[in-house]
Amino acid sequence: MFGTPARARRWATAAVSALALAAVAACGGGNDGSSGSSGSADKADLTWQFWVGGTEDQAAWQKVADQAHADHSGITVKLQGTDWNNYWSKIGTLLASGKAPCIIGMQSLRLASYANAMLPLDDLMAKYGLKAEDFDKPIMDGLKADGKQIAIPYDSGPMVIFYNKDAFKAAGVPDPKPGWTMDEFKAAAKKLTTGGKTGLVTTPGDLGVMSWVRTQTGAEPLADGKLNFTDPKFEQGFAGYADFVRTDKIAPQVPSGNTDFETTQFVSGKAAMSLNGPWSLIDTMGKVKFNLGIAPIPAGPDGSKTYTAGSGFGISRSCKTPDAAFQAIMSMTSDKPLTTLAAAGRAYPARTAAHPAWFTAAKIPEAKEVIDYASENSIALVTSKNWVQVADLLTRFGTQALNGEIPPDQALKTIQDQAGAGS
Amino acid sequence: MATDTTTVAPPGRTVRAGRRPALRRDGRYAGVFLAPSLGGLALFTLFPTAMALAISLFDWPVFGERKFLGIENYSHLLHDPVFRRVVLNTALFVVLYVPLNVVVSLGLAVWLGPKIKGRQAFRVLFFIPVMTPMVANVMVWRLLFQPGGLLDAGLQSWFGVDAPNFLGSSDWAMPAIVAMSIWQGFGYNFLVFSAALDQVPQSQLESAQIDGAGVFQRFRYVTWPMITPSIFFATTMTLITSFQVFAQPFILTQGGPGVSTQTLVMFVYNQGWQFLSMGLASAAGWILFVIIMGITAIQFIGQKRWVTYDV
Repeated sequence: MFGTPARARRWATAAVSALALAAVAACGGGNDGSSGSSGSADKADLTWQFWVGGTEDQAAWQKVADQAHADHSGITVKLQGTDWNNYWSKIGTLLASGKAPCIIGMQSLRLASYANAMLPLDDLMAKYGLKAEDFDKPIMDGLKADGKQIAIPYDSGPMVIFYNKDAFKAAGVPDPKPGWTMDEFKAAAKKLTTGGKTGLVTTPGDLGVMSWVRTQTGAEPLADGKLNFTDPKFEQGFAGYADFVRTDKIAPQVPSGNTDFETTQFVSGKAAMSLNGPWSLIDTMGKVKFNLGIAPIPAGPDGSKTYTAGSGFGISRSCKTPDAAFQAIMSMTSDKPLTTLAAAGRAYPARTAAHPAWFTAAKIPEAKEVIDYASENSIALVTSKNWVQVADLLTRFGTQALNGEIPPDQALKTIQDQAGAGS
Repeated sequence: MATDTTTVAPPGRTVRAGRRPALRRDGRYAGVFLAPSLGGLALFTLFPTAMALAISLFDWPVFGERKFLGIENYSHLLHDPVFRRVVLNTALFVVLYVPLNVVVSLGLAVWLGPKIKGRQAFRVLFFIPVMTPMVANVMVWRLLFQPGGLLDAGLQSWFGVDAPNFLGSSDWAMPAIVAMSIWQGFGYNFLVFSAALDQVPQSQLESAQIDGAGVFQRFRYVTWPMITPSIFFATTMTLITSFQVFAQPFILTQGGPGVSTQTLVMFVYNQGWQFLSMGLASAAGWILFVIIMGITAIQFIGQKRWVTYDV
């Protein structure tokens, strides 16, 4: 077939080279690939990549997508769901290859990593009259990168304390009110820590740690967009946080790598308080067998201060019909779908007009007062480009700091050394 | 053997010349039949391996500019205290896991000798953890290990003491992962050893017994030499897979606390798919590849000293 062995070798070499070239070409593809859409401003079949938890979730979110078709008969939006853990690597590869769908789900904490591949929406907002003031300000800010709006939020929420009302009552501790102080919080937690149960449960997740640090010392994780964990004020706040477990012993030792630990300890009644976001409130209410209350994060020397996070929808740069995609996003974040999501307890809506539906569903009398108070005292947690790495390192070394294996400032220094340069 | 070939074989040159067309034809057919699998190997194994080597020489973020760095990724990794710890963790896992796995599986295979009743039932029982999805296994062990979990609660109610924070303590997390991995993984080698032990001829064991050999001597001088090929196979495969350990630490501790249970494959995964830094991930992947190749080569060279094939 190939004649002499020498010729066969040449054939083989040529074939392998061609294969390698073809593959390199495929890998190095530019940004001119398919955009997952076709059509014009009013007529387009769009694809929307989003994280979903299962078939029920998928159906609920497809209804949100269908709002676009209801408002614009020429536009259809098809949901492509991926589970949360695989979502980020999947959209990473899709965005990098220029083959991402038009509409992309985006979380405020991860926005900085992906913002380069997303279309700034400010011009489209002006063109189609989407008003930023109709949404909660902290989350609108949280979905900005370099001052440009990258995504339109559907949910938001400041971090608040979830607490076990029955446990407070049994221990004779009064219900916390907005404005309660760090000292009051610690006294309550100490009283609640008895008989194998603890007053608090905490794991070193990014939102929780940053909120506790901010309320205690006002320190923020970034300075001029760069990681600033070795700032003395940040170190002081983080040491105070680590002391909850280390020295105050008002929270249990932290297992490594168990992201459910906080939820399971709180839901099972083993811990009386836990810092969480309103997006988890209605789901948690369905799981607990006690009366659930919420309170703002305790006030440090400068008052109660917390962080807001949330998620929204943005448009990939490779989208060929950004106008249609933006109109679809406007429909998907309009009053109607957000009210439906709120009533179903799926998300604390980012649109202020949809808040009442959520408060009705939450069935906690003080919910409105607490969330409004926390919202006023919160800012968006703005993150660095390598935040995923920062959050990963924080979980790793934060666990060691909380459990007293390494000093808190050593944990922060290690994180700064590992991730500071890339931020 | 060598002398036989040289004396018996006719002059090579004439024979080879006579059979050459037939050989060539065979070669062509072999090439055609091998093409699909060779193509697959080239496309899905050789090309990605070479591509990874190329990527490892670049700063290759998923987004943004790629920059040629030469061997900078490698020198960065070799000077990075976290990566060094990760290599050490992987080595520690291998050193603890491989011998324990072989001892447990061989011990149980020997214990479940031919005379034990319900032998098949035990075999199935020991093999169940291998067949169960790793994620399910790990979840169950997490419930055992975590604070307030079964071990903790058990120790508290029986002895009134707290169990160590197995998954949160740097000292305990790795032994906890090794323990879980052995429980999960010994069934496979157990089957391999059981099959090898069944092949040992009963007559030889009996004649050794008649000659006055005790239990230990029969095992050492009759059984052991006959099962060395299986032991070599089992240790080589276990060694390779244990260098690639991922699921257990990933689900049980996510590599923590700190980086005390992070392994090489986890490091590659995190760098590549979490932090989107393909260059560093590829460099770490190649370092792992070289380590595995080196150790496997040493094993193959070393086998001449202790593996017996001609019995």
